This record gives sequence, C-alpha cells and structure tokens, in this order.
Amino acid sequence: MYKDKIYHLAFRMLSQSQTAEDIVQETFLRVYRNLDRYDESQKFSTWIYRIATNLCIDQLRKRKPSYSPDAEMPDGEGADWYSLLPSEEATPEDQIMLSETQLQIREAIQSLPEKYKSVVILRYLHDMSLQEIGDVLDMPVTTVKTRVHRGREFLRNKLDGDFGDKKTETF
Amino acid sequence: MNCREALPWIHEYLDGTLEGPQSLELKKHLLSCPACRDLLKSMERTEGLIRTMPKPVVPDGLTSRIMGGLPQKKKKTEWLKWIQRHPAISVASVFLLVMLGSFLSLWNQDTDLVVKGSDLDQVVITGNTVIVPAGKTVNGDLMVKGGTIKVDGDLKGNLTVIDGSINLASTAHISGQIKEVDRALDWLWFQVNEIYSLATR
Repeated sequence: MYKDKIYHLAFRMLSQSQTAEDIVQETFLRVYRNLDRYDESQKFSTWIYRIATNLCIDQLRKRKPSYSPDAEMPDGEGADWYSLLPSEEATPEDQIMLSETQLQIREAIQSLPEKYKSVVILRYLHDMSLQEIGDVLDMPVTTVKTRVHRGREFLRNKLDGDFGDKKTETF
Repeated sequence: MNCREALPWIHEYLDGTLEGPQSLELKKHLLSCPACRDLLKSMERTEGLIRTMPKPVVPDGLTSRIMGGLPQKKKKTEWLKWIQRHPAISVASVFLLVMLGSFLSLWNQDTDLVVKGSDLDQVVITGNTVIVPAGKTVNGDLMVKGGTIKVDGDLKGNLTVIDGSINLASTAHISGQIKEVDRALDWLWFQVNEIYSLATR
C-alpha cells in the first residue's frame, strides 16, 4: 500500500505524525490532480515517491527558524510562530515504549542534514537501489552515492560511539 | 593501498558496487589493517541498526482522510467527458443550435417589408402596404413579410403573409391558397419547406 509507504517516509523525514498525515493527504491529492501528466515510461512508485519527498523537503525547509517564534505571523490573525512548533502530543510511536537504542537511532536519523536524510531513508528504510533514489530525487547516481557515503559516516559517528567499540573512532 | 584510499572502497563495498578485482585488493588491505577492518565492521553495524528501525504505526482513518481530501466527482465533469467521447454529435448539435439562433435572430431583426414574387410589375407598394390594384392580374405566387397586403385585383397563385395582415376587397380573386405565418416556429418550418422544395425541384 502506497499510503503506508508514504506515511513511513514522511514520518521519518519530519518526525511528526500530524505533519506526516498532511503530507500523505497532499501527495494523494497531487497524484489525483496530475494523473494526466504521469509519464508512463517511469515507474508509478518513482513518481509518487518523488511527489512525497519533494513535499517533505519543502516542509523541512519551511521549518528553518528564520523568525523569532514570538513574532506575529504575517497573516494578521494574531497567531505566532509557536503555533507551528511540534506539539507535545504523543505520536503513535511514542505510545509504544521504545528501547533506548531505538530512541538513539531515531534521534540520529532526525539529526541528519536534510540532503542526507532523504537519501538515507530511501536507501535503508525503503530498500531502494541507488538508481531508484536517483530517479526519485531527480539527481545523478554519483550524487546519490556521495550522499549515502556521507550519511553513513554521519550516522556511524552518532551511533557507533555509543554502541561500538571506541577503538573504531581512531584509524 | 593505504587507509585513505581504502575508505571510498569500503563505501563502494557496502553499496554493493565494488568490482571483483577491487574487492580482492580491498580484502588484502583489510587483512593487513585492523583499523580499517574495525571501520568496516562499525559501518556494517550502523547500517544494521538503521535497518532495524520499526515501521511507525499508520494512524487509523488515514485512508478516509485521503479520500476526503480528494475533490468530489462533479456531474459537470461527467457531462464534459461525454462531450469528449462523442465529438461528432457535439459538433452537430452546436451547429444546429447556431443555425436555430441565426434563424430566430433573423426573425426578430427583420421588421422591414419584404415582397417576393415572380410577377411584381403589377404590384404597387406604398409605405408598409402592398397593393394588388383592382383590374390587375398577378401571375404566380406572392409572399409578403412584415407588412399589409391589400388585394383588390386578381392573384393567380398562392399568397403567403408572414408577420403581417391581409386585406381582401370584394373584387379580389385569389386562385391559390392563402397562408398566414405569425410565429417564429412557423417561420422556421416555412423556411425549411422552402429549402426542401428548392432542393427537390
């Protein structure tokens, strides 16, 4: 089911269940609206993943704090930027007790810079080949490779210091 | 091979894209370098950890939310689809509509006096009135539109009056039929008949 796959992708990208649901809804709406523009020479999964990753990346970029949260939003409705911050409400994942290891892995993925994050998630959590990732993100395979390598090192530094043996950090 | 050269190859190996001869060379280096061996192990562990991430539970009601977010199918689009599927019928009906429109607008605009006939020399026209004077004979049909016809003499043919009135004197003699047309639909029917009789002639 694409619904589940897209939800997993958005949830890992944005770490928020509510926003992930919004992304899934928007993805399907765009698929519906642009069905006539779907190029049949590419895989349908590539197309739907591309729409979803683009939406996630846009969302991540929007989040970058370029304003003070106290500043009123320009829509003039008196809402401030705090209202955009993730709520404290528990996500379905939080309701299940996660092991400390899993929490650390989740944190490591969350802390990945955006350009490595999408590649890592597609590679490890959606089992995509480098070529497929290149198709989804519309970038050459060499770029995907570089990002996988960087992402891998980033995660190793985050995680293996905790779980692996310390010797590995000096080589 | 030194450790600096080995690092990208370790990544290639993990990507599953390292060629045969290169992997042999990397293997040789790993056998002689415990640091790189540990590095590879550490990366494999990291990959393993990432892959163990459980899939988040998809919230209930997501499907209905997706479906609710999609626009409702409109009847109008069904109608448009029908038009797209039947272009010939659509074009024909638009053509008919335009034809009908032009007939009707002709009917509405045309308030001037129109006289048609094969023998108009005998006819006198004064203002909005067409007169067949007493003692004169008109040979053939006569059609008057948008005016009054006053017949004092003889008419050897049919008389048709559209949107007008007929004034027959006691001395009048009309050998054919008298037809009065007052409504747009009759006018249309009359036109169609005219075209038909022309075509079959």
